[in-house]
Amino acid sequence: MTACSRCIYDERVPSISFDEHGVCNYCAMVDDLKRQYSTATPAGEAKLAAIVEQIKKDGKGRKYDCVVGVSGGTDSSYMLYKAIEWGLRPLAAHYDNTWNSAIATENIKKVLKKLKVDLFTYVVDNKEIDDIFKSFFLADVPEIDGPTDLALAEVLYRAASKHGVRYILEGHSFMTEGVAPLANIYFDGKYIRSVHAMFGRLPMKTYPLMDFAAFMKWILLKRIRKIRPFWYMAYNKEDARAFLEKDCDWVYYSGHHLENRMTAFNHSYYLPGKFGIDLRNLSLSASVRSGQLSRQEALQRYSEPPHMEDDLLEYFRKRLNLSDEEFERVMRRPPKSYLDYPTYKSLFEKLRPFFYVMAKMNLVPMSFYIKYTSKTGI
Amino acid sequence: MTMLRPRVIPCLLLNDESLVKTVKFGAYTYIGDPVNTVRIFNELEVDELAFLDITASRQSRRPNFKILEDIANECFMPLAYGGGICDIDDVGKIFGIGFEKVVINSHAIRNPAFITQVADKYGSQSVIGSIDARKNLWGRYEVFTHGGTSKDSRNPLEWAQELERLGAGELLLTSMDQDGTWAGYDIKLTQSVTSKVNVPVIANGGAGTVRHIGDVVKKGGASAAAVGSIVVFQGKGLGVLVSFPSKQELKDCLA
Amino acid sequence: MLTVVDYGMGNLGSIVNMFRKIGVQTVVAVDPAGIERADKILLPGVGAFDTAMARIEQQGLLESLNHKALVEKVPILGICLGMQLLTESSEEGTLPGLGWIPARTLAFKGRLDTMRYKVPHMGWNTVEKHTESPLTAGFESFEEQRFYFVHSYFVQCDDDRHSILKTAYGLRFDSAIRNGNVYGAQFHPEKSHAFGMQLFRNFARL
Repeated sequence: MTACSRCIYDERVPSISFDEHGVCNYCAMVDDLKRQYSTATPAGEAKLAAIVEQIKKDGKGRKYDCVVGVSGGTDSSYMLYKAIEWGLRPLAAHYDNTWNSAIATENIKKVLKKLKVDLFTYVVDNKEIDDIFKSFFLADVPEIDGPTDLALAEVLYRAASKHGVRYILEGHSFMTEGVAPLANIYFDGKYIRSVHAMFGRLPMKTYPLMDFAAFMKWILLKRIRKIRPFWYMAYNKEDARAFLEKDCDWVYYSGHHLENRMTAFNHSYYLPGKFGIDLRNLSLSASVRSGQLSRQEALQRYSEPPHMEDDLLEYFRKRLNLSDEEFERVMRRPPKSYLDYPTYKSLFEKLRPFFYVMAKMNLVPMSFYIKYTSKTGI
Repeated sequence: MTMLRPRVIPCLLLNDESLVKTVKFGAYTYIGDPVNTVRIFNELEVDELAFLDITASRQSRRPNFKILEDIANECFMPLAYGGGICDIDDVGKIFGIGFEKVVINSHAIRNPAFITQVADKYGSQSVIGSIDARKNLWGRYEVFTHGGTSKDSRNPLEWAQELERLGAGELLLTSMDQDGTWAGYDIKLTQSVTSKVNVPVIANGGAGTVRHIGDVVKKGGASAAAVGSIVVFQGKGLGVLVSFPSKQELKDCLA
Repeated sequence: MLTVVDYGMGNLGSIVNMFRKIGVQTVVAVDPAGIERADKILLPGVGAFDTAMARIEQQGLLESLNHKALVEKVPILGICLGMQLLTESSEEGTLPGLGWIPARTLAFKGRLDTMRYKVPHMGWNTVEKHTESPLTAGFESFEEQRFYFVHSYFVQCDDDRHSILKTAYGLRFDSAIRNGNVYGAQFHPEKSHAFGMQLFRNFARL
């Protein structure tokens, strides 16, 4: 099986291609982003400093000048520390999909208490979200956690809008996470609405759906920008964790995103089990690219099965009201993808030039432009 | 000397199948999924949990056994349930599911002998007599029932003594005025009751800081403090966040 | 198989749940046949002494329980009221107890200032090791050994060597006892988080 000579993505990764040196196009994408954003160079830091100054300026006279999405995880927790360090006045915003674990809530509590940052939370109705999750499960698609990701984006916008804030800081880092293949994780409002309409039973009332109209409202009318500081500055996840642990007793839960039980189920069981997707290759590949991990070691770790909490499956089945056999039956069904359902994809593709401009202005993330508007399905 | 630490008990309100939090028994905010929240509290190893179903109480409906079962399966600490309890068979069912105590409010007023019936069959430690009290225009305390929607007018102190006499092993004393205000418990009300009864009293309504918990125990004589807003919100007027004071914080405030 | 006795009084659900959580299979017994198959017995109990003893007798369990305890000498653990039943008698009632441990169950009321020490003794209290026993192995690893107590009556062993844990509540009483293969715990392990799990784990290993 062909694998990238540099990172550990192999031919199973959707839309992958290799150049004459055997290096994959995802590595090339990361290199390109690195150049664009001058990551971890004085030029990059200067760019970031300029943005921070602008945020302060635009936020004068208001209670908060930026919104930082928090989940209790490393990136968002560290992001808040940085925001405070830079002299910003952030409002922390959290989307509670009612599947949080105590680690998440405790970490959020500790970080916010230490930094004296206010919290805005949006809690979706538990029965409603379970119905939405279940419809994705029954739709045989990998994006069972897509509704969470999109809802978070919408909640951050709402929190920003409510307080007249024009900037959202996101803790995403292509250096530590790479660029995820679109076919693994696609989400937009039309996709969620169609899947829910087909397989759901309860009306969507409290779920914060970002449809195209809302999307345009946020970027064109409210002009709320998304900044990803870790794209400009040097960011090492291990160091960040050590710092957080020491400074406010933050707790690391082994593995990516395991503060939320739906995400845990998704990463540790659902994606590997039904789609053969093991998302650990994202962060492992990123660690290899940035030289933090050897390719050998990354492959070694990747070959070990992902960690899973006891009775996580039982919890999932119970909440979604699935019998053991119904659960098994659906798990064994052939996978489908976002291409099988109505989405905004073709609309995004048509608007490619428009979104390029938006990305340049930080109104949408550059990775959104790269993945969602491309016809080659990267 | 005794090492019996006063208990701090998250008191969670059920509205249909969702968790909510009220202010002065009025407007409520949606908090989240009951079972997941309970799971978090179990992970945080809280002392005890109390669940009050406010719809069952207001609409005189029977308990939602399915949810109670899901909740009991997640917990390895004592659980109390209240809301619309008026049937001895329902009580038996609730205990069988895995709850230790039932909280009886409105029905005790309607049929005081019910308290004795439950206490005789299952032991007084299984019955918590619940009193919701509010001050009237003249500053006198009055008892309310049905989730605070119906005034009974009797005096909470006398009613507390009566409940003890009837067999309640514990009392849950809630100040409706302080509920959801973050301003502290009604120490005076609590003290007036604890000084006159021999059973443990759980103070409820108004906790905003860990200090308040210490106060109601030390100055109010409460054996336990029920907490609501403080464990489901980051702070007054701030976002939903499920948490519990740390062991150190509790040790310090109760010292 | 670890057998939990169902005589209609006690938190079986929670007990079975906790054993399941620590990976121990249990079976519930309602009749003599169920008891006879047991190689380890857990006797729960919530409620009144006399009601419990009467029920056990009515269900015809007395003979098989006695046989298991005194003849076959399988490990037996009585919890809360279940521990009180192991004693010879209780001030709460008039019926005799199982009498497997020479001890008596006494009332807190009348021996304590109840304005200061409310009855029932309810809440988390600490235990102190009095005599070593396999049931309490590993307790030292916990910073504080606390368990959830709910009771209005307490046990006092005739022979202090049968006391394995002691607790203070106005007075000092035996919170865990042992006579050979028969053990008792006054608190509720199934409601005591990690502490309870450790105790159940120890009992399962006996």
